[in-house]
Amino acid sequence: MSLESLTQPEAGRAAPASGKGDVVVAVRGLTKVFKDFWGRPKARAVDNVNFEVRRGEVFGLLGPNGSGKSTTVKMLLGLLYPTNGHIEVFGKSPRHVKTKAMIGYLPEESYLYRYLDSDETLDFFGNLFSIPQEQRAGRREQLLEMVGLAKARRRQVGEFSKGMQRRIGLAQALINDPDLVILDEPTAGMDPLGCREVKDLIVALARRGKTVILSSHLLADVEDVCDRVVIYYGGKIQAAGTLKDLLATPDQLRITTPILPRETIERVLEIVRKDVSEDRVRIDTPTQNLESYFLGVVQRAKQSEETSGATSGNRVAAYLRGDADAPQVRADKVLERLTLPTAAAAPEVVATVVEQKPLPNEKLQQFTRVEPTPAASPSIEKPSAEKLEKANEKLSGLLGKK
Amino acid sequence: MIQRLLAICLLTVRAAFRYRLVVVMAILLIGGVIVLPIVIKDDGTARGFTQIVLTYTLALITTLLGFVTIWLACGSMAREIEDAQMQMVAVKPIARWEIWIGKWLGILTLNAMLLGVSAAAVFVLMQWKARHLSPNEQEILQTEVLVARGEARPPEVDYKRVAEQLLQERLKTPAGKTITNVAAFRLTAQQQVKAELETVRKDYGKQWKIDLSKQMWDLKDVPMHLRLKFNVAEDNLSSQYNLEMEVGDPADGDTRVWRTGEIKLPNDVYSEITIPANVFNAKGELFIRIANRNDTAILFPLEDGITILYRQGGFLGNFSRGIAIIFCWLGFLAALGLMAASFLSFNVAAFFALGVLLVGLSSGTLKQIVEEGGITGVNHESGVTENPAFLDKIAVPVAHAFLGVLGMIKNFSPIDSLSSGRTITWSELGRAVFQIWMIMAGILMAIGIYTFTRRELATAQGTS
Repeated sequence: MSLESLTQPEAGRAAPASGKGDVVVAVRGLTKVFKDFWGRPKARAVDNVNFEVRRGEVFGLLGPNGSGKSTTVKMLLGLLYPTNGHIEVFGKSPRHVKTKAMIGYLPEESYLYRYLDSDETLDFFGNLFSIPQEQRAGRREQLLEMVGLAKARRRQVGEFSKGMQRRIGLAQALINDPDLVILDEPTAGMDPLGCREVKDLIVALARRGKTVILSSHLLADVEDVCDRVVIYYGGKIQAAGTLKDLLATPDQLRITTPILPRETIERVLEIVRKDVSEDRVRIDTPTQNLESYFLGVVQRAKQSEETSGATSGNRVAAYLRGDADAPQVRADKVLERLTLPTAAAAPEVVATVVEQKPLPNEKLQQFTRVEPTPAASPSIEKPSAEKLEKANEKLSGLLGKK
Repeated sequence: MIQRLLAICLLTVRAAFRYRLVVVMAILLIGGVIVLPIVIKDDGTARGFTQIVLTYTLALITTLLGFVTIWLACGSMAREIEDAQMQMVAVKPIARWEIWIGKWLGILTLNAMLLGVSAAAVFVLMQWKARHLSPNEQEILQTEVLVARGEARPPEVDYKRVAEQLLQERLKTPAGKTITNVAAFRLTAQQQVKAELETVRKDYGKQWKIDLSKQMWDLKDVPMHLRLKFNVAEDNLSSQYNLEMEVGDPADGDTRVWRTGEIKLPNDVYSEITIPANVFNAKGELFIRIANRNDTAILFPLEDGITILYRQGGFLGNFSRGIAIIFCWLGFLAALGLMAASFLSFNVAAFFALGVLLVGLSSGTLKQIVEEGGITGVNHESGVTENPAFLDKIAVPVAHAFLGVLGMIKNFSPIDSLSSGRTITWSELGRAVFQIWMIMAGILMAIGIYTFTRRELATAQGTS
């Protein structure tokens, strides 16, 4: 691993906000004050907010309850009118009818017609976009397959569980192949499988140059997909920027390697101890996150078990996928993890070094010069827990002697 | 645009079906049409039969559909706004006015279905039950009810102008200069002139001239009906009064003159007498002379005391036009409900719309305010407000304006016309469409669309 890779953007994604890409949403001095019947100010929900969203990026709106995220979203959609300030969506007012043809919206709650079934719901919204009948029928099929509701197409939306309602809500948000997708808590009420699929979909949309505005409380989901975020509190933006800029801890360095023999680890530690005190060095075994583990279990179970609930794992609708041969990115890494042999998921040793400044290059070169011992090959048997514990004790002892 | 409008229209219709409203209403309407004539027995006459099978059932249908239309219109709009479903629609590329019009069209479609089914039931029931009347009554039914008859009346006399003329002459006299309350005197003068024109004293007669020149070629060899109604100064026990009638022009030797001799007729109800054909002269003038053979004076109202009715067409076409006017009323009520729901919650909108409907049905009170010149300090002897207060000065023009507006809707009586076999002409239907839909519903539509467009839908969301 080279230092440069720590800073390069991931291949295959549209350039995040670095001044490139058209401005899709522009918000200037946006303020919203809710008033009572007599016109007296009641609550300042949004206070002098400024931001831009560029084409092809995934933009996150974060903040606690009542911070102004949903109010901002509703003003972007023309459901609320600003008290002050200016909003432009695709260069026009949000209330402009033609602008709405390029927007897809998934609200926080399901506000669909309970007496319509899935098919009728998509058909109705498709008609509002003036989509011709044949195209509408094709998209309905693809979307229902994508969200896993093909078998429930004739059930009324009022009979759906919350997760199923979110899925059909997501489908209606995409019926018009929108250029701007606004998702308000898209993964709320969904199982981990559904959450993963939504995130994969967001990435797929962004890859096609679509713009996504995402409002969510689930920070892990935001972290997985967003390029830039703004954090609201009290109606004001408290922080804004790319995730990398906001989350980076520049005073630490992480090196990830396969399992190394004890002697190699001792040599590494000896070199590191010359610059860093022992109490600031941590060695542990990385773990996969719970989501990945869950997905793996379900994927294996799918081979042999039936379910009457929502199905999943279906491909993104063809008209939303666009170029199917586009470079593979994060989404497929997840899929690879679920399908490749166990050896690909071999545990690794992670050495975390607390450092005030980056290590000199010659130090790094020393690591690359060291030849891997036969014991470090991928075919090595994973050590038992007992052995690991003994090795840790010995290492602790070595560090303590110094 | 058409695709979007139809989508909203179809959604509204679908909602009514899925919530079983259409089924329940159809059962209520058809049930009412069938059950009402069973529960309320007619007297075996054509008139009684028509009253129940046609008048009552059409009134029931109009009332039921009227209330349901307001309820549906208010619910369709207000509930969707409160439940935030309207937000899902409003964020799509559809203008607010398209949503409003689409809902109106959807409610009209439902009304067309329900009104069509129930009107068809009335029509079939009439044809079927008519077979159980006696042959004589069936004849009357076929000639006087199940038919479309044109009408002709004596020329209207502007009694108010005549009274004003007399008043001005009187005011110039020395006695007239002593009159202090001119408004009361004016009202009295109008009443006296009207009474003079209407009254036929004991053993006196009166003549009316009706111009049939435009219809005379169609009426050649066609019998006509004289429809008359009169009041009496003093009632008798039997409520039957002796009249002698003569129809024709005695000065024209070529015109047939037809006489009834002395006949008995009831007061305060419409009576119809068949007049033979060809009793008008070469100019198309029809003369009717009626002599009073009673001990009391009788009064023939200027508005509808004497009417000549003649066959113009069949019942089916007339019935269809009458139903179309009822449909226009329902369209107006739908606009009223949608307008209220555009800016009010469901409960308040329904209350408001029903309140407006009730005020509209109470136009008699408004008329009284205008005639009496106010609402406070009415002199019960003269019948007018002698010293109008500030409130009266506001109430009278407001009542006048309301009456003018209501008149645009209420000046059509399709049920009454159908019951008496009178023609509802195409021009009357056209006028109904123009006045009720274009003007009245159009004003409500403009108000509703404007308020709906300006409304912030996300603040109207109810908590759940």
